[in-house]
Amino acid sequence: MSARETILNAVRSGLGNTAVDPAAVRRDADALLQDLPSIRPALLADGLVDAFIARVTSPKVAATAERIASASELPAAVGRYLEAFGLPAVVALQPAAPLQDLDWSGFELHDKVAPDEMIAIGVARWGIAETGSLVFHSGADTPILANFLPLHHLVMVRADTILPFLDDYAAATAGQRPPRNVNIVTGASGTTDIEGSLVLGAHGPRFLHVVIVGTPDSSE
Amino acid sequence: MQEATLSFKARAQEALADPTLKIAIDRTTGTAERKRAVAMTQFPQFEAARERGKRIKDHVIANLDHYLLEFERNAIASGAKVHWARTAEEASQIVVRLCKEAGAKRVTRVKSMLGEEIGLPHALDEAGIERVETDLAEHIVQLGGDRPSHIVWPSMHRTREQVSEMFKRLHRAPHQEETIEAMVDSARRELRDKFLTADVAISGANFLVADTGATCTVTNEGNAELTTTPPRVHIVTAGIEKLVPSTEHALLLLRLLVRSATGADVTQYTTFHCGPKQTGDRDGPEEFHIVLVDNGRTRMLREGMKDMLRCIRCGACMNHCVVFRQLGGHVYGGTYPGPMGAVLTPVFDGLESSRDLPHACTMNGKCQEVCPVAIPLPTLLRGWRDRSWREGLEPATVRFGLGIHTFVASRPRLYRLGTAIAIRVMRLFSRGGLVKGMPGLGAWTAYREFPAPAKRTFMEMYKDQEKGQ
Amino acid sequence: MTNPQNASRPPSSPRVGLFVTCLVDAMRPSVGFATLKLLRDAGCRVEVPDAQTCCGQPAFNSGDTADAAVLARHFIETFEGYDYVVAPSGSCVGMTRAHYAEALADDPAWAERARRLGERTYELMSFLVDVMHFAPADVKLDTSFTYHDSCSGLRELGVHDQPRALLDKVSGLTLKPLEGNDVCCGFGGTFCVKYPAISNAVVGEKADAIDRSGASLLLGGDLGCLMNMAGKLKRKGSSVRSFHAAEVLAGMAGGPAIGEER
Repeated sequence: MSARETILNAVRSGLGNTAVDPAAVRRDADALLQDLPSIRPALLADGLVDAFIARVTSPKVAATAERIASASELPAAVGRYLEAFGLPAVVALQPAAPLQDLDWSGFELHDKVAPDEMIAIGVARWGIAETGSLVFHSGADTPILANFLPLHHLVMVRADTILPFLDDYAAATAGQRPPRNVNIVTGASGTTDIEGSLVLGAHGPRFLHVVIVGTPDSSE
Repeated sequence: MQEATLSFKARAQEALADPTLKIAIDRTTGTAERKRAVAMTQFPQFEAARERGKRIKDHVIANLDHYLLEFERNAIASGAKVHWARTAEEASQIVVRLCKEAGAKRVTRVKSMLGEEIGLPHALDEAGIERVETDLAEHIVQLGGDRPSHIVWPSMHRTREQVSEMFKRLHRAPHQEETIEAMVDSARRELRDKFLTADVAISGANFLVADTGATCTVTNEGNAELTTTPPRVHIVTAGIEKLVPSTEHALLLLRLLVRSATGADVTQYTTFHCGPKQTGDRDGPEEFHIVLVDNGRTRMLREGMKDMLRCIRCGACMNHCVVFRQLGGHVYGGTYPGPMGAVLTPVFDGLESSRDLPHACTMNGKCQEVCPVAIPLPTLLRGWRDRSWREGLEPATVRFGLGIHTFVASRPRLYRLGTAIAIRVMRLFSRGGLVKGMPGLGAWTAYREFPAPAKRTFMEMYKDQEKGQ
Repeated sequence: MTNPQNASRPPSSPRVGLFVTCLVDAMRPSVGFATLKLLRDAGCRVEVPDAQTCCGQPAFNSGDTADAAVLARHFIETFEGYDYVVAPSGSCVGMTRAHYAEALADDPAWAERARRLGERTYELMSFLVDVMHFAPADVKLDTSFTYHDSCSGLRELGVHDQPRALLDKVSGLTLKPLEGNDVCCGFGGTFCVKYPAISNAVVGEKADAIDRSGASLLLGGDLGCLMNMAGKLKRKGSSVRSFHAAEVLAGMAGGPAIGEER
């Protein structure tokens, strides 16, 4: 007997060889997703954007955030960030249309992220207010390593893509074909492996700056 | 390994005599305990969420065959190759074979307790494949040539001073400054190029998502993604109990897992891996393998240990265990330490060689109280004691003693007499309110005083009072 | 807390079987007499059945389920006839309430008797507060105390607020909080003699915390834990004196503390 058959048979006998009704299993699984408000934590503020920013900038996430009215203001925002850190205007830009279409004059751009990349700019598909998280899907315009190699990671997210809770992301994408990778990123890379004390910039970015564009009801 | 040859009690004595170890344990578990307590006050819904988490895991276990097949079907559809392993050996052999087929010279690994459980580090080393541990703690363990001592903080047994010394000795460009930040930087420099030049990446999984066929890893360092993206092949090893019905169920459990493990609300990086690189993707592996491992899990299902299959490996039970906090993880001798390890190690290694583990517990119940999926750990530990008794593994002196005790205690008059004699004997050894130098009390009096009994038992005095009335 | 349906009105002069526990019987009868006095003050008709011995916990926790079942049956036969069973120990009551049904699982009729008796079996402090709505009157003790919550009482029976509420009524007595009050003291029944070195390390930390509380007295509700902690405090030369909370509540803490000459 193959390992597969042995294991499946052992599972079935361990469960008393009862017949499985897939429809009933499905119903039970769905029932476990009912009444979610009773098992979710509270958001930090009433409005989704405010709650998201409050979480992103809280000590637990320890990232920075700012709001701009329209994507066209992003290059200027990036410029201010680089100036504050005294960094050169040499950035890896994610090859995604919403970023590529902006006016980056004055910047030296590339789309291949180097192992010791200083600054990368990306766009997240969703924000999550509960945790201050950003969600990325791998794809033709989203190299995964761009989220992990740079020291400074600057991420644009549209205000109207901010979801209240982690499980809202799952519900929003249920039934769709998943990408190779979904990255839910919350703050910069950190480690507590030496005596439990938190140090940022373990292997991934040490700095995460989130730029929120527009308002929840704008189509920008 | 030296540890394996010493008895549990001898290992415990060594650990208790090591003052540095106690400092290291207290620093890490103390921080974890405090941060978890704060997280609980910020999440008053925890009790309800915990009940839900328990029900999700129970639902999966009750329908495990269904979910295994659903997961396999969807994983294959996403382009993954699914392998099944009955035992630890079978699992590590599959991984080594896949590495060889990929012509791998260098393999990067993401920390996975299942990988430890199936002996993967050893199997890769034996096969002559260069193994690079990328989790900072596992990197420290690898440099130190020892074993993980905690499931969340594998190098918990090392103080910062010890880590600093190792990095200075073994890193190519070590830190200059004596800060933890500088040490972390040193590891970042050391591992950077290894991430990008590995042939195969090996990770575990915190969840296997049945309705997509995806696997999920959670880390704080970002090493999982740096590990699993550049190589041509990504291999996942996971226990069959890791299944969840959907991504949504996984995210409900994630809330419990992270708060219980570190006191954070969510891990910095939560990543789902579904199949290999898709058409047009900029990066990602060309091959994606998933090895589903039984290794005793179906036996647990059969032998009344179903509750333990809920375990999501958060480590809260050990952080809150008075015994673990004195001994650290190595004393337990298995892959998993602490209360959950004391339940699991007899499954993997047999009860005979590990019978001390379920006994070295005060049954105080704290582990069950903090468990995010409400596993009745003391009950499971007592189950092993019961089995050890039935299989005749308990020492003859204990069996004899308890036999006599039951014989006497089921005969009240004999019991009264026995108690009355016992306290009078004890009083022969009593001085200044304490029993001194009495044979048979050495285990107690070696460390603390034994308060002397009264002159007469309660029952003797009570009867006299009754007569007097 | 343990039995909310009883929270409305205390029963009038219930017939209570007192289980003194083997440790109190042999080592510290004053705890038994203090319990007797408190139950009578609370309006109970108390009897001390002569047939009582041991609850069977040492056998049960050693994995010797068959012997535990023998003693469980003996306990049930001895105490079944009472309205309530009360013991000055969370550990022994936890055994009867939470584990007798497990020990007798192979025997459904006895398991059911165990369950029914378990519902009427109480740890002293919770019985006084939750069932009898009792508060001690005219008890005075000018000193400070710290309180250790023994694990079985705390986690199996929910005993936490009750002893504090009762001790709060003792005039002159002030509570000094104990850091890690809900952390096990390392006693663990047979654990402390099977793994004495580990037990010692645990109780060593506990004794340090008790000393740091700055209290003059250590109080608790389980004699096993108290003997362990008092023994360690004595060995390290601490001046903290240890009593069972019942002794203080009954105004019987004038005599020697645990481990003092009598």
